[in-house]
Amino acid sequence: MRVRVMSAPVVFLTSTTPSMNPPPLPPRTRRPARRLWLWGLLVTPLLLLALLAAGVASCFRLGSDARAVRNELFKSSGVEWRQQIAVNAGWLTLGAVRAGLSRIRLDPAARAALQSVHAAGVGVYQLPTGTPPPNRAAMLASADSAMTARGWERVVGVIDGRDLVAVYFPKKVSVRRLKCCVLVFDGKEMVLVSAQGNPEPLVQYALAQPSLGAQTGWLAQR
Amino acid sequence: MKTMLRYPLAVAALTAGLGLNVLAGSSPGQVDFGKFAPPGDGGQFVEIQLNSNLLSLTAQVLEKQQPDAAKLLRSVQLVRVNVVGLTDENRAEVTKRVRQIRHDLAHQGWEQNVVVQEKNGDDVGIYTKTRGGEALAGIVITVIEPKGEVVLINIVGDIRPDQVALLGEKLDVKPLKDIGAALEGAALRK
Repeated sequence: MRVRVMSAPVVFLTSTTPSMNPPPLPPRTRRPARRLWLWGLLVTPLLLLALLAAGVASCFRLGSDARAVRNELFKSSGVEWRQQIAVNAGWLTLGAVRAGLSRIRLDPAARAALQSVHAAGVGVYQLPTGTPPPNRAAMLASADSAMTARGWERVVGVIDGRDLVAVYFPKKVSVRRLKCCVLVFDGKEMVLVSAQGNPEPLVQYALAQPSLGAQTGWLAQR
Repeated sequence: MKTMLRYPLAVAALTAGLGLNVLAGSSPGQVDFGKFAPPGDGGQFVEIQLNSNLLSLTAQVLEKQQPDAAKLLRSVQLVRVNVVGLTDENRAEVTKRVRQIRHDLAHQGWEQNVVVQEKNGDDVGIYTKTRGGEALAGIVITVIEPKGEVVLINIVGDIRPDQVALLGEKLDVKPLKDIGAALEGAALRK
């Protein structure tokens, strides 16, 4: 806060002629520093509390991209989905977790995942009992339209029986900040996952696994 | 739900390991298969499209551990896979469409390298488009399994014939391995 110090006008009286001017105002003094401290003491905890509340609230709120898909799917399906869970961990939370677990012996896969994922959100939604599942093709089209409008493109789309899987990446990708959004629906539950990070540690780990060939074989045999 | 996670995993592994008419795409080896509608309930439908951005990103990640695979991925611009399950409703239409794609390819300068028609009705066709006689600009694989599904694969890039077998090896796609071997054999005969 800036405090302007107003200097009082200086009047020179050269003779005994009575002056018509009013007597000069007493100079304004600085707002007492004590008062500022008081304000600071009052506002700081409130700000911290608000930040904490926003942080905690954001942990239970999906990221904007996943939220856009979810909203579009809710709207297009015309079904009252029940939210089972929605959690979100930003770079601050995951950075703290990474730092906290850096000295602890972890499973290599978990460590690779932790190093790769810098932010992630998961939402699980369930169809009410007895509700017929929405058309998968229509769901895929809705998700496509929501994501395309946000500059993403679908890399994978699978409909198999009751299952639906869609994987989206932004049109512009970078290794250090790769974003990804996955939609999975099995006829009853819909899972939305969004993640951001550097895939390198996870890919290096995956490549070191002898079972990788078996995973690729699934697609190759088609 | 667990089994469903195989799909993204398989695609991640794939990237790590590696209309009706046929329309010319932005690259000479690119073929626009058009949009396929998912079949009715129970029918299988797979669409995979890995573009150059994602492929070069994967190559970047693989650079240290698998330099050969990374080099191969850098030579590929696009991998597109379509699998459409055949049902009584769509069998005639989808099969006709794939045959039309093959017909158009043959009329657009694509070389038909392999045609396999098996007793059970399975029909495999492999087409290539060369770039300057030394590299392949594109590969198209079409599979019609009348009792199962149709598969369309388009690989676009600047692929040397000797890389095709490696690509087939990395993706474990048998028709690609076969054509790779055939192309290498043809190159040796020359």
